[in-house]
Amino acid sequence: MQKLRSSERRRRANLAAFALALAVLMVGGGCKTSVDAAAAATQLTSTASALTSYYTALDTLLTETDQLYQIQGAINTVTPYDAQTKALVADTKTEIETREKLAKALTELAQEYAKLSGSTASADAEKDAGNLESALAGLKQTKVSMSASSVNLMKDAVGAIVKAIQERKEREASAAIDKFTAALDSWFQSEVPYYNTIGADYARVTQSLAHTLVRKGQVNSSSFVNTALSPYGLTAQLTDPTLKASIDNVVAAQIDQKATALATAQAGASTSMEKALAEMASRIHLVATDKPMAIRTAPVTLADVENWISLVPQIAGTASPAAGSASSSSKSK
Amino acid sequence: MQEPLNQLENTYFTLQGQIDMLSAACQTQDQRNALSTQYVQARTNYWACVNKAFHDDDPEVVTLTSQIAAANTALTGDVAQMGDITKVLGDITTVVTIGTQLATKVIGA
Repeated sequence: MQKLRSSERRRRANLAAFALALAVLMVGGGCKTSVDAAAAATQLTSTASALTSYYTALDTLLTETDQLYQIQGAINTVTPYDAQTKALVADTKTEIETREKLAKALTELAQEYAKLSGSTASADAEKDAGNLESALAGLKQTKVSMSASSVNLMKDAVGAIVKAIQERKEREASAAIDKFTAALDSWFQSEVPYYNTIGADYARVTQSLAHTLVRKGQVNSSSFVNTALSPYGLTAQLTDPTLKASIDNVVAAQIDQKATALATAQAGASTSMEKALAEMASRIHLVATDKPMAIRTAPVTLADVENWISLVPQIAGTASPAAGSASSSSKSK
Repeated sequence: MQEPLNQLENTYFTLQGQIDMLSAACQTQDQRNALSTQYVQARTNYWACVNKAFHDDDPEVVTLTSQIAAANTALTGDVAQMGDITKVLGDITTVVTIGTQLATKVIGA
């Protein structure tokens, strides 16, 4: 516990150092217009916040997937939930949580930076910059193969920021921040297919389970026809087997449509997040290269991401995680 | 998505989507056991490769990817027609075996 507290203090110190550094770099030195710098900070905050929530939503889907596999194993003995798969799902969940933490740290530093915009450089910046280097250790634990080059670019960019602060080379550091956001954008792009397969699997398993339960007659499809009766305050009571079978066919078709919609919505959110990150990176590039920023509102595609994020607790039911769920580290966030 | 994972996803999603029908088609406990073994392995192969990378230029990966693509096509045809369950189980075993070989080629495996 003491170790955790110490780690948290160090993390906060690093965050503060990074925020101060950004203020020094983007307001005190590298950026000509503090208005653009402030706008960049606000956009970075919004985008990083949405990115955090996006990962949280994926994390929720993985928690649900773990539970769905348990249910499927209980319903059909042909589909047992083996320990190896459970461990792999948990591993994937840990990976998503690592990204969630990274996005959260980015959000917090952007918030600090936004508050500090317009202030003067702190004399403590150089001292605090040293702490930032230790923050890189977290990224070293990331087990990414395909996007390793982007991760290395981010690490190098942060390293360059630290060096530039220590040497009081604001312009170089500003360029490094630009590189960081560009690398973040590339990193996300390279991983989108993996995020989408998590969404597609969630849709596939729920679809399969729903069909199983309908076939086994364990779903009350009467509620489905209540759409026609609710205006009159009536409740359906399907007793005719032929009629019930017909309704079940309609229900099955609806399950298929909904499953497709679930996967499509998640993939759409990924695309929108990708566009928002690209937009943010391009705007920060403008600030870093002393060019005027024409648009100062948050990237428009963030609304699509937030829409999907808001749907996840509803579609997933956000049931309290079952005992023995795949998560082993989510509570330590 | 990298094509090897795409193919592992195809195998697993096909089995996941048709597992009820396949279970119902099995006539003996041995067949059900065989289906269960292959389903679990297909799901494990898939999850073992999520968020992992393959060396696309590895000739063995290229060959296995090509083989599993063909086997997936055969499997899709099998489950669409649902004829002889023994043949279907044989084709499932073929595609999952290739998938297992492919999954061992993932970087860091």
